[in-house]
Formats: sequence, structure tokens, C-alpha cells
Amino acid sequence: MEGGGTVTPTKLDVRGEICPYPMMRTVSALKKLSRDESTLEVVTDHPPALETIPTQAARLGFRTDIEETGASEWRIMITRIEAGAEE
Amino acid sequence: MSGMTDEDVDVNTALGLTAWAAAAVVYLVAHAVDTEFSMFWVFGLAFGFVLQRARFCFASAFRDIFLLGHARNMKGVLLGLAVGSVGFALVMSRQVPLTGLGIYPPSANVLPLGIHTGLGGLLFGVGMVLAGGCVSGSLYRMGEGYVASWVAFGGVMGGLLLSAHTWNWWWEAHISGAPRLWLPHWIGHPGALVVTLLALAAVYVWVVSIEHRAGMVVPPTSGGGPQAASPGTSGPRTESVADDLRSTLRRVFVHGWPVLPAGALLGALNVLLFTAREPWGFTGEVSRWSIAMASVVGVAPGPLAGVESLPGCVLVVSDGLFFNHMLFLVLGMFFGSFAAAVGAGEFKLRVPKRPVRYAQSLGGGVLMGYGAGIGMGCTIGAFFSAIPSLAVNGWVFAAFLAIGAWIGTLMIQRIE
Repeated sequence: MEGGGTVTPTKLDVRGEICPYPMMRTVSALKKLSRDESTLEVVTDHPPALETIPTQAARLGFRTDIEETGASEWRIMITRIEAGAEE
Repeated sequence: MSGMTDEDVDVNTALGLTAWAAAAVVYLVAHAVDTEFSMFWVFGLAFGFVLQRARFCFASAFRDIFLLGHARNMKGVLLGLAVGSVGFALVMSRQVPLTGLGIYPPSANVLPLGIHTGLGGLLFGVGMVLAGGCVSGSLYRMGEGYVASWVAFGGVMGGLLLSAHTWNWWWEAHISGAPRLWLPHWIGHPGALVVTLLALAAVYVWVVSIEHRAGMVVPPTSGGGPQAASPGTSGPRTESVADDLRSTLRRVFVHGWPVLPAGALLGALNVLLFTAREPWGFTGEVSRWSIAMASVVGVAPGPLAGVESLPGCVLVVSDGLFFNHMLFLVLGMFFGSFAAAVGAGEFKLRVPKRPVRYAQSLGGGVLMGYGAGIGMGCTIGAFFSAIPSLAVNGWVFAAFLAIGAWIGTLMIQRIE
């Protein structure tokens, strides 16, 4: 995985959640990230979240990398886009 | 990038083919008993397949306008309504060529319009957002393995039963005297179709303006669905006819569909079903199951006044028979989604960890069931089939669905 820092990222497991909580809980976790934390790792089994989470993360200034980790399970790495940095 | 290997795809293909083979066996048996059973089974499978492949969710269509300021699913719904309206208008212009005589098309969802329509839509709108899916959404998610959707469906059955117990009051007080407003009576079929399409276009402009106000962001990893990034799907890598066909099959059976073709297809299937018998809708059938189960434990309602005279998804008192064509439609929707999910590798038992989700799903289901009972349909029967019926009740139900979805959105943001 590229994009992660050297520090272990904060993890959020939203497997089993009903729509639209995977996205809502991700957004509130992103808002709670401290300034020196740059990455949130989300584990989800809710496919619609693969569209809504990147969109909402982008609105908050984050980029996302999605990796399918198993049968209908994904790890979403959400990384803060640093001010001034390209991509 | 993707965790889905070729072996996984092969296993899913085998499981999917097994599921479709089972569906074919049911078809053959049903066909031998009654050709209408097998036809409705195929319709159900087709609806369930399309709903699952595109994750076509009416609840999110309304909710996401308020929650996220985007309208991905609503655009698909609007296209489906437009396709349905054109087709329904053609069918109804054959059924009722002279619109000035006050005749109604026999099976179109032109329903009595009154307080029950608004309250039904409102309760349904709140319920579908609380439960995370409407009735059709819960059905296809049941097929994907969402445990909470099974709970929501149980709630829907309970809510329909409750509405049946209060039906006679609603009938006496509001429904029996309520007008059935059908646009072609005033402006003919072409006029009614033009007005309906213009209104749909106006809603489209409105939701696009909401998207722009919210600041639509294209995310860095946007794509057409869960497996959009998996290898072997890009055009230039295709080497032979077999590879080409394989990638086409994967686009249909493995990758998530975009919402617009799905909306158009659902609209077209709805027209086809209307030509076969009646518009798409099924909460009446679910109420039949619910009332039949209630009669086993002695809590069934008595006779329901006026229901025989109404089209659409009005409550159905059990006739003592187990099978009918609508049973095959509803079970087909569930099984079509299940087969689609298995074939795409998207079936998984999803068990909510927070107890409040079960309460939400059950409560939301009860609200939807009650709303569908007095509103004589759900997001399908009272909305997706009612607006194309060129009936005013479809628009009123839709407006209250939206208000309900807005209230529901405020509620879920307060439930952690």
C-alpha cells in the first residue's frame, strides 16, 4: 500500500453495517482525525460505500485507495491531501 | 489492486450457474402448473437481477439528495419513470381510446387520492431511510445476505397487518369518497404524457442544481462499481473472440452496472409487465402472506371494505390458496437478486453489530408496511408504477416520500 504513513493508521471496522452508516461513520471518523494523523483505514463489506466514501472523503480533502481483501470485503485507505501537494 | 482472482471468478460463476439452474427448474415446474406462474417468476427474476446488479435503491435516491447533495440514484429513477410513462401511455391509449368519457384504465395504478396518500408516503419515506432500504431494496438486499433487511421485511409484514386492522376506518373516513385523478381525463393521453415528462424534466433540473450547490466532487478513485478496478477488463487487452465475450459477460454478471441503463431497463420491464397483466408492485401480495400468517394465530383482520374495487397494491385478504402469480413475482425478485449476487461474488452474510440497527430496521419496516397499506403501494406500486399511470396520486405520494426521507435523514444522523 502506498500513501500510508509510518505510524499505524486509525482503523474503523464498519462490516455488517446497514446503509448508509459505513459512509456516515467514516465521515465522522475523518472529522475526528487529529491534525497530525493523515490516514484512516476503513474495512467494509457494503459495496455502495465504495462510491459514497471516496466522494465524501474528497469533499473533506482526502484521497482514497480501495483494495478488495476478500469475498465482498474491502479495505479503504483514506489519506489527507496535504495543502500544496499534487495528488 | 483487486482481491478477486480468476479462480474466485470461476467459483462464483459455478455458484451463479447453479443458482440459475435452480431458477430454471422452478420455471419448468411452475410452467407445467400454470403458465402465468412461470411468466411472473421470470419477471421477478429479471427485476431482482437488475436491482442487484445496479444496486438500484429507491431509499437512497431520495435520501442522498438530503444527506449528500447528490442524485446518482434519483437520475436512474427519473429515467425509469420517463420510459415507463411513454410505454404506459401507449398501452393505456389502447385500453381507453376516448378519455373524455370518464373511463379508467382497468389495471393502471390510478388510486383514490387523499390524506391517506400523503400520510402513507410520509410514513414510508421515514421508514425506508431508517431501515436503510425500501421494500424492493430490502428484498434485493435479502438476496445479498443483509440480515437487517430480513428484519426490515418482517417489519413490513407487521406494518401491513396493522394497516389491515385499521383499513375499514380509512376506507369509511377517507378512501371510499376520495377522487381518482387521472390526467388523460382532462388533457388526453398526449397532453398527460407531455405534462408528466416535463414534470420529470423539472425534477431532473432541480436535483442537478442541488448537486451543484453541494459541490459535486469527482473522487480520485471513481469507478463503475466494486470490481471496476479489477484487471482484464480494459478493451486493449482483449486478444480473442473468447476473451472479448468473456469481458462482456463479466460486465453484465460481475461488475456493478451504472444506474441509468438499469433505470431504463426497469421502466421497460414495468411496461412489459403492464402489457402482460398489471404494473409492477407487490406489497399487496406481501400483505396476503402477512394476513394468512396472522389468521393461523387468530389475529387476522375481518373482511376489508372496498379492496376488490381498487387497482394497484391494495391489501389482499388471503383466499386460502398458497400459490398465485404474485407469489412467483416476489420470490422471483428475491431469487434473482440472490443469483446475481452469488454470481458476482457479492453474497455475504452481513450481521449488524449494534443492537440499535435491528430496532431501526424493524421500526422502519413497520412504518413502511403501514404506509404502503394505507397508501396502496410502496416506492414501486404507489410511485414507480403510479406516475407512469399518469395519475396524480403518484406525484403526491412522491412529494410525501421526499418529505419523509428528509425527516428520516435527520433521524439517522442522530442515531450513532
